[in-house]
Amino acid sequence: MSSLIDYFHTDWEAMTTTDWVGTILTVVTFLLMVGLYLYVLRPKNRDKFESHKNIPLDDD
Amino acid sequence: MDAVAEQKYDYGVVRWFTVMATVYLVVGASAGVYIASELAWPFLNFDLPYITFGRLRPLHTNAVIFAFGGCALMATAFYTVQRTCATRLWSNKLAWFTFGGWNLIIVAAVITLPLGINQSKEYAELEWPIDIAIAVVWVSYLFNFIMTIHQRKTSHIYVSNWFFLGMMVMITYLHVVNSLAIPVGMFKSYSLFSGVQDAMIQWWWGHNAVGFYLTAGFLGIMYYFVPKQAGRPIYSYRLSVIHFWALMFGYVWLGAHHLHYTALPDWTTSLGAAVSIAMIIPSWGGAVNGMMTLSGAWDKLRTDYVLRFLIMSLAFYAMSTFEGPIMSIKTVNALSHYTDWTVGHVHSGALGWVAMVAIGAIYHMMTRIFHVELWSTKLVNAHFWTATIGTVVYIIAMWVSGLMQGLMWRAYDEYGTLAYTFAESVEAMHPYYAMRAIGGMIFLFGALLMLINILMTVMKASSESSVQRARTAVATA
Repeated sequence: MSSLIDYFHTDWEAMTTTDWVGTILTVVTFLLMVGLYLYVLRPKNRDKFESHKNIPLDDD
Repeated sequence: MDAVAEQKYDYGVVRWFTVMATVYLVVGASAGVYIASELAWPFLNFDLPYITFGRLRPLHTNAVIFAFGGCALMATAFYTVQRTCATRLWSNKLAWFTFGGWNLIIVAAVITLPLGINQSKEYAELEWPIDIAIAVVWVSYLFNFIMTIHQRKTSHIYVSNWFFLGMMVMITYLHVVNSLAIPVGMFKSYSLFSGVQDAMIQWWWGHNAVGFYLTAGFLGIMYYFVPKQAGRPIYSYRLSVIHFWALMFGYVWLGAHHLHYTALPDWTTSLGAAVSIAMIIPSWGGAVNGMMTLSGAWDKLRTDYVLRFLIMSLAFYAMSTFEGPIMSIKTVNALSHYTDWTVGHVHSGALGWVAMVAIGAIYHMMTRIFHVELWSTKLVNAHFWTATIGTVVYIIAMWVSGLMQGLMWRAYDEYGTLAYTFAESVEAMHPYYAMRAIGGMIFLFGALLMLINILMTVMKASSESSVQRARTAVATA
């Protein structure tokens, strides 16, 4: 592989339906993951999430 | 004695799964020690086909993964889902069906595998009628779990239940697809897939058996039992949510890294390796989350032997989830693949992580479901040290052996011919195979101590009628 451009070259014409379904699903899932990370790590939501951490200790 | 819990929850099936998990730990480890000894001292085959390495090895893996691991997962999932959802099991009868069915499947495996009835798919050796039974029983487990969550009395579903649920859903999917086969007789079938597709499906299943069954499921155990035993909440709940989703998203890609330098397209195995490296982040996030739960209370490890098992398991989890991605790098894999390094890696995860976290959970549950103290806490401490030392001896032997194998196989002289024959590399392995068998024996000895302790605790509960008294105390309250 001589350059990064070559490495990331994609023959879009050769993409089959299966390839497109897989690509779209993967990209959408990835974006959902990014959205989830931002939501979970947003300082504003901290207390909301951390309030659940005592559940195992409160089950007696 | 927690009489309220005894009356409030269905503990009967949990008690049986817990005890049987301990029995199967001894059975599975015994089979492992025997086949390890066969490799070091081949006369132990005794020219009997039923006890040769090829037939007992799948019996060992099925016993430890599905018998011990399965019973531990079912005991802990049924125990924790009730307590975190503040409700009984949706169906106690269905849970007993799961218990009976799972144990019958284990009996079927014990009979068929030594007879050589085998699909030749790793970690999925059982023939098609048993595969169908596994699917039915597993779905009964999944359905009961989902319905119990559905009828919960709490608003939030605690993260351990997410891990258990992820494991159950994915294993259903993986098991059914990987086991698709065309039967040609009662005990013979051929995979629906062939060639490189069959290899890809096999390792899609194989690595996800590790990723979902042996990791996600046991992380479900970790997220409940570490905070509970430590008496402190998990270090970061937010990190546990990220850990869960990253694990679910990431693990399904990894299987291809088992097939480097094969007929599989190069990009597929490269992708498998790249995502494997990325998986270090959520795995270490989870391990740190579990360990930091003890932040400010590390002194508990001095006196709490059960907690030692749980925390040591996280150390091994961190170690093996670092080692795995490193081994998936093509350059490293060229040296490590097909060698004993892989065996060492698997056992650092299996003995160090899976077994130890399950053992910690079993000891924790015993006092709560039988309403008595453990028969001997000194034996728990002895078990901890034998399990740890046995595991370390085992994996060191396999690391050295694996590196030697890899280096001997690739060595060549100035004429370009191989420096060693394969037989010479086998001969060089002998001391390490003996050392591995000894490591396994030490671990097995600890498992025997545990079985004695568990059985004596059950007898103590029986003689004191503690379970009966817990039921009666609530009835008269």
